[in-house]
Amino acid sequence: MKVELFGFLQRATGCGRLELEAPTVRHLLEALVVRFGERLRGELFLPDGNLRPGFTILVNGRNIVFLKGLDTPLKPEDTVSLIPPAAGGQSHALCSYR
Amino acid sequence: MYGWVGRLLRVNLTTGECRVEKLDPVMARDYIGARGLASKILYNEVDPQVDPLSPENKLIFMTGPLTGTSAISGSRYNVVTKSPLTGTIAASNSGGYFAGELKYAGYDGIIFEGKASEPVYLYIENDRVEIRPAGHVWGKTTHETEDILKSEAPAGAKVACIGPAGEKLVRFACVVNDKNRAAGRSGVGAVMGSKNLKAVVVRGTGGIKIADPEGFRQAVKAALEKIKNNPVTHGGLPDYGTAVLVNVINAHGAFPTRNFQTGVFPGAEKISGETLAATYLVRKKGCLACPIACGRATLVPEGPYAGHGEGPEYEAIWAMGADCGVDDLAAITKANYYANELGYDPITFGATLACAMELYEKGYLPAQDTELELEFGNARTLVEAARKVGYREGIGDLLAEGSYRLAERYGHPELSMSTKKQEYPAYDPRAIQGIGLNYATTNRGGCHVRGYTIASEVLGIPVQTDPLVTEGKAGLVKTFQDLTALVDSTGICLFVTFALGASDVVSMLAPATGIPYTEEAGMLAGERIFNLERLFNLAAGLTRADDTLAPRILQEPLPEGPAKGRVNRLDEMLDEYYRVRGWDEEGRPTEATKQRLGI
Repeated sequence: MKVELFGFLQRATGCGRLELEAPTVRHLLEALVVRFGERLRGELFLPDGNLRPGFTILVNGRNIVFLKGLDTPLKPEDTVSLIPPAAGGQSHALCSYR
Repeated sequence: MYGWVGRLLRVNLTTGECRVEKLDPVMARDYIGARGLASKILYNEVDPQVDPLSPENKLIFMTGPLTGTSAISGSRYNVVTKSPLTGTIAASNSGGYFAGELKYAGYDGIIFEGKASEPVYLYIENDRVEIRPAGHVWGKTTHETEDILKSEAPAGAKVACIGPAGEKLVRFACVVNDKNRAAGRSGVGAVMGSKNLKAVVVRGTGGIKIADPEGFRQAVKAALEKIKNNPVTHGGLPDYGTAVLVNVINAHGAFPTRNFQTGVFPGAEKISGETLAATYLVRKKGCLACPIACGRATLVPEGPYAGHGEGPEYEAIWAMGADCGVDDLAAITKANYYANELGYDPITFGATLACAMELYEKGYLPAQDTELELEFGNARTLVEAARKVGYREGIGDLLAEGSYRLAERYGHPELSMSTKKQEYPAYDPRAIQGIGLNYATTNRGGCHVRGYTIASEVLGIPVQTDPLVTEGKAGLVKTFQDLTALVDSTGICLFVTFALGASDVVSMLAPATGIPYTEEAGMLAGERIFNLERLFNLAAGLTRADDTLAPRILQEPLPEGPAKGRVNRLDEMLDEYYRVRGWDEEGRPTEATKQRLGI
């Protein structure tokens, strides 16, 4: 599948687009860590293994939180977009008013 | 007073009288400052039916109680008037250093009335206030004007001015301060031009009294920690500026392309924030008291579009890029320099050019009416149109009217991608449902910074909501709109809300002013301000029928991308929105709502 890397991930990996094959999003992230080194793991995951808060992953433009999360299955024709929290993130700006 | 200076300057340009008035402390408490306070003054003093470009309209520059203090990003002022683009209330917001200087000179704001018989500028040096001739800077760009007027003022003076676009009443002309910061939307610069007012020059040497200095210092310190620990305000925005969104929004299929004919732009990577950072970015620039520094100083070193200046920001990149089918970042950057120097809103300009391109390609705008080749993707046309519109030259004269009047002229108003005659910014409401409701209901027409639901629907702030569903969006939009009205009225920058919430804002506002604002009181003030703007618009003649979206957005499904096949389902959200707002089915605030809000 086609993988798009945005924000600082482009600097961290030296590329914006690449082709990889993986059965799920979780496997895809592991493949990226193998390819670009363990340092990338710290950028993607918290120490407990969960994805960093605010890190957005799209499969064909759809946020995986509305699919099956890291277990979202992937097909060869899919496009996966990795958007680091630098272009997203978390806050408590409006929590009390939702 | 604390936070506020407590003084307003009223300038009658017809008579030449300049008068200092005391700020009403109750009105200040209830409407806070900047957008809210100026809207209240406009509501009290101006007939909503007034011709926006007549002397009877007023032009109000207003700071907030946190402006000029050490509050995070406390750099803002609003320019409030009745808009010549939309016929609604206009409140346009700018940062930089001008607003702080106005407070240091001893004024919370300036109310301009009437019309000067010849071009003038207002000179303020603390208590010294003079209306001076401006014939020598009339016709000059914003940069030239600032340089000349600064040479006539003491060191440290700040300038807000209009460019040729404001003088020529381009309906989306802006007020530019500190050369590249702008009160950008809704044509406030045209109102300034209609009054023959070229500029305001201000130098102040006073200070701002804070009610509880230690409490304020602690609140600012706590807010700064949150800013520093937030990946947007201490990562994305400083590193890439707002243009970091180009790839993100395009990946969602929500990046309007060729006048919203689709939501995916093949050239997005070439005009992205990442590409800008790797090519033309020289350095980051921040406003007064801002740790984020999202501004971009840029340089195009060579070629036909060589130049230097600031920007483009995300919205400008989109409007003059994808919406016009242009993927040449140098050309977009050059066009953005024209927008800054000639003094107009690049969003409405780009969207209007995109509309002209579609009219042209469909044969509705005949070739004999334009000296430019208006096909989508033509970078040369973009740059030339960007120059011409500022002077109303050739086809620029038609573009200067905005997309709605242009499309209406050629018999196809449905090709204007606007609400209330103001063009949409860079998010397609067919792919992001909530932002469509916001576009339909903001008080200044199509606008993203009156209720930025993109934060939640795309960026997951504070929680991720599904951009494709309508359920719950009415409440979400109302909350964002009210919070924004609060933030805009304090004098701090909306961008802090990526990291700070209403509680953080009032935690700075209360010790600064000495008024015990709670989070609830702050949000209520935001709601009061939003409703007051609404009442102005209703009195101006707007109705429920104006709370809508362009037919394309409601009827033409996106042809490709992640949101393929979708339209915006406004009808599923609007009635609920009226209910949560406490408005009747025609969109009028009920008596009970007005009473609850103290209007």
